[in-house]
Amino acid sequence: MSGRRVLRRVLVANRGEIAVRVIRTFRRLGIETVLTVSEADAASLAARLADRVIGVGAAPAAASYLNVDAVAGAAVAARADAVHPGYGFLSENARLARACAAAGVVFIGPDPETLEATGDKLAAREHAVAAGLPVLPGGHVTAAGRSDADIAAMESRAQQASPGLAGGPAKQAGADQVTGEDAAGLAERIGYPVLVKAAGGGGGRGLRVVRDPAGLEHAVAVASAEAAAAFGDPRVYLERYVERGRHVEVQLLGDGDSVIHLGDRDCSVQRRYQKLIEEAPAPGLDAGLRDRLRAAAVALGRHLRYRGAGTVEFLVDAERGEFYFLEVNARIQVEHPVTEAITGIDIVAEQIAIAEGRALRLTQDDVAFAGHAIEVRVNAEDPRRDFLPSPGMVTRAVFPATTLTAGNAAGRVRVDTHIQAGAAVSPLYDSLLAKVIAHGADRDDALNELRDALGRCRIEGVTTNVGLQRAVLADGEFAAGGVDTGYLGRFLARDPLGDGQGAAGPAGDMRAGDGQSAGRGAGQAAGSFGARGESAEPVRDDRDGDAGAARG
Amino acid sequence: MADIRLVDVSLRDGNQSLWGAAGLRTAHIATIAPLLGRVGFRALDYSSSTAMGMSVRRHREDPWALLRISRAAMPDTPLQFIGTGFRFISWERAHPEVIELVYRQLVDNGMDRFVVLDPSHDMDAARATARIAKKAGGREVIGALTYTISAVHDDAFYAGIAAQYAACADIDRAYIKDPAGILTPERARTLIPAVQAALGGKPLELHSHATLGLSQLTCLTAAALGVHVLQVGCGALGDGSSLPDAERLVANLRASGHTVDVDDRLLTAVARYFDRLAVAEGLPPGTPGSYDAAFMDHQLAGGTMSTTRRQLAELGLADRFGALLAQIAQVRAELGYPIMVTPYPQMVIGQALANLLSVTAGGGRYDNVPDQVIRYAQGTFGKPTAPIDPQVLDKVLGRPRADELAAEPPPLTVAELRQRFGGRISDEELLLRFGMPGAEVDAMVAAGPAVTHYNPDTVPVLRLLRSLASRPAARELTVDKPGFRLSLRSSMSTEGGDVS
Repeated sequence: MSGRRVLRRVLVANRGEIAVRVIRTFRRLGIETVLTVSEADAASLAARLADRVIGVGAAPAAASYLNVDAVAGAAVAARADAVHPGYGFLSENARLARACAAAGVVFIGPDPETLEATGDKLAAREHAVAAGLPVLPGGHVTAAGRSDADIAAMESRAQQASPGLAGGPAKQAGADQVTGEDAAGLAERIGYPVLVKAAGGGGGRGLRVVRDPAGLEHAVAVASAEAAAAFGDPRVYLERYVERGRHVEVQLLGDGDSVIHLGDRDCSVQRRYQKLIEEAPAPGLDAGLRDRLRAAAVALGRHLRYRGAGTVEFLVDAERGEFYFLEVNARIQVEHPVTEAITGIDIVAEQIAIAEGRALRLTQDDVAFAGHAIEVRVNAEDPRRDFLPSPGMVTRAVFPATTLTAGNAAGRVRVDTHIQAGAAVSPLYDSLLAKVIAHGADRDDALNELRDALGRCRIEGVTTNVGLQRAVLADGEFAAGGVDTGYLGRFLARDPLGDGQGAAGPAGDMRAGDGQSAGRGAGQAAGSFGARGESAEPVRDDRDGDAGAARG
Repeated sequence: MADIRLVDVSLRDGNQSLWGAAGLRTAHIATIAPLLGRVGFRALDYSSSTAMGMSVRRHREDPWALLRISRAAMPDTPLQFIGTGFRFISWERAHPEVIELVYRQLVDNGMDRFVVLDPSHDMDAARATARIAKKAGGREVIGALTYTISAVHDDAFYAGIAAQYAACADIDRAYIKDPAGILTPERARTLIPAVQAALGGKPLELHSHATLGLSQLTCLTAAALGVHVLQVGCGALGDGSSLPDAERLVANLRASGHTVDVDDRLLTAVARYFDRLAVAEGLPPGTPGSYDAAFMDHQLAGGTMSTTRRQLAELGLADRFGALLAQIAQVRAELGYPIMVTPYPQMVIGQALANLLSVTAGGGRYDNVPDQVIRYAQGTFGKPTAPIDPQVLDKVLGRPRADELAAEPPPLTVAELRQRFGGRISDEELLLRFGMPGAEVDAMVAAGPAVTHYNPDTVPVLRLLRSLASRPAARELTVDKPGFRLSLRSSMSTEGGDVS
């Protein structure tokens, strides 16, 4: 896109809390909103807030929110100047971005080329290496124990860019490429413990942690056999297993020329790849490490000539003081309010400004960080029944009053929700009911405020995770700050709700929730009600693009 | 038929004309700024040193911060600052270096369009101010042709000024400023072509107050004569002693065959916001005026009118408004017909009020003379347009105070101000301390950053809740109406306040 274009009417192609969230900023800016709704959402809060609604199909997401033609057609029919895709659904869909461009509609997000570069996990990893970012050392091996030929070349490139770090590609190698050294040699170079995983799989299946050479051969053989059976691809992949990894991400804004960061967030409280609590800034990071994370994210943004709001996710090895690129989320994220709270910046407003063809309105020096913010996700799910989704009718919904708003960091509590008494929580969509965000002078202050705010939430009619979230906020380990991605699994194993259901699945299951093996594959439906089965699209969850994997 | 652009004056002249420059706070402006920036206005008449002073004095809010907030919210809209170039907030004449610093800070904080207004049409002064504004980085400088009716202000007089604007490289365009709203369509038909012919192709705008109900017709006349930028007010901040109502003018222009490319939905949203704000804050909305022949004599601009009524009421003399108007007309003639535009109305009214008070107490006119009048007679603000009545001049200059003022030291330079106020404060704060009593600036600093969000619809409810909170005897409140129930209980008896 070239030149300026003032947006007057925007199609909001999403639902739930993020639709409400972006509509609020559009209203504040005087931009007319047209909301896409499925047949299930015509009476939603977002539909009532929007200036107009336009139906895009039946209730299942595949028939409506994931239907590129229906959404692009709605933009044209509504004579919208632009489409805001929110998160999840089609937010990172290059085909929608191209369809919008063809129809003369601005897609509020990165360019299609960027979406393609970041949407493919392996391509994104190559871009990260090219931009000098550290990636987890690793490589393919076959059941016979040979690793890919191209590992060495990639490693040397990565080492040039980031001395001291070995990087290996996770390239979808054809069978003819499979040669090279054996698994034992590769594992030795990576360093134990290593994670053995199916190259063709995803979503945590076929994962094994091997802590010493003795167990490697067996693990590779079993993983390969499992992978062959499950995915028809016997190749397995070894990468360094980070025992105490933290999920830290950096918020970026770019205009195609300049890229700045809005600081970091920590999203390590996860259950099966689903983030449950996020905070900004990441607590307890060494200042040098924090600077390097931010600089790495900006370097990747510059390399991609990034335009829009996006997030670079990292796995931080707290023990070694190192970090590894995980992926890029080329959209707004669920947890963006914690960044808005500590910067006072309305990220959606910046997305709009960039989409209107403006240069970034902020320089890095303009971005100041004040205090600490923490967000909890309130989901309609039952922690006592292995987090089974809990759809139904909300009969009572009381939230603390919002005093902290996007673009105004003066207040202390913010609630982003699409739920009011009488709201229907559909089994077809995401289980996210609300996000409760507290901002304080420091982390303790924010935590106290959040405990108080969560204590004032009353949601009846559907089962929620509020009780569990309160228990986490009350936990000493969380309160101390800087937990790793294995924390929640260990916490649940302690049976915090006192009903013997604490250990939600085998320990290995929780172990996989480390953010490390974030795949975009199907399978892990945590926190979602199963729209995936109906989706004809390459699987993309309606939860912040999570696809049931450790993202968002 | 032409494509007409609008300049909205709601935030500055609307607020000043109708609400004594005291109505709008940072939150009011910050909330509506994003919409104002998207309506499609050619520019906004945004601030003045008076408005900045009121921010500090009345609201304890930093006017510089407000400029920055507004600029960020309206990245594409030229924001206009109007000033005389010889003072900043205070009525004292400022050192030229200080004025240069003022304009640099205005540009740095986001202002980009500057009105050059010399109330006496002193062209040397106007050119000097234009130079300062351009040197500071101002993108657009617009010279004022301040309209008045007098023996000396004929079409040739204005054409002469227009020719000087045409010849000045630092002035990009001009506007006919009709602060009293006395420009009739008939006069516009001769005045506008005379001015246009002398402007050498520089664009001309019209700023005609709606006080006498003439401005809608005068604007339509001007549009037909080739004036393609017209100044308006929105909703409650249009009409009355402000500028003509924007929605009505757009409709009238379109009915005349002109095109006006504004976002009608947003224009309405802005207008209704000001309407709701006026109701919530108890501020009088502008209403269409009707013709008043007496007005042609005193020619009081909108802002002055509302301020004067307020001051009289504060003195317990609300019933003497008519007598004051008579004094004003007489004083204005005696002082050589100064155009009734800041700072002269304040000066003329100050003298008229002094005369009224001393006559009421059995004394004589000009027994008391404000310093401003003495300075004016001494030529501090430039040369009066017509000579001052000799008898009055003697009375004014024959006072001991006149000698004192004549012996006043010259205004302080920036370096001297720094010495006086200390080196640690920002230039912005330095200028506020130059223009205002230190205690007021201290109070502003102590108040901290201004609130930036405002919702007029919640004001009555919040007011009710605050009043309830101040009455501890009231423990429970229930508002019950069809489809709505609000129940509040004092938190002293239950686990917490509950809204259901």
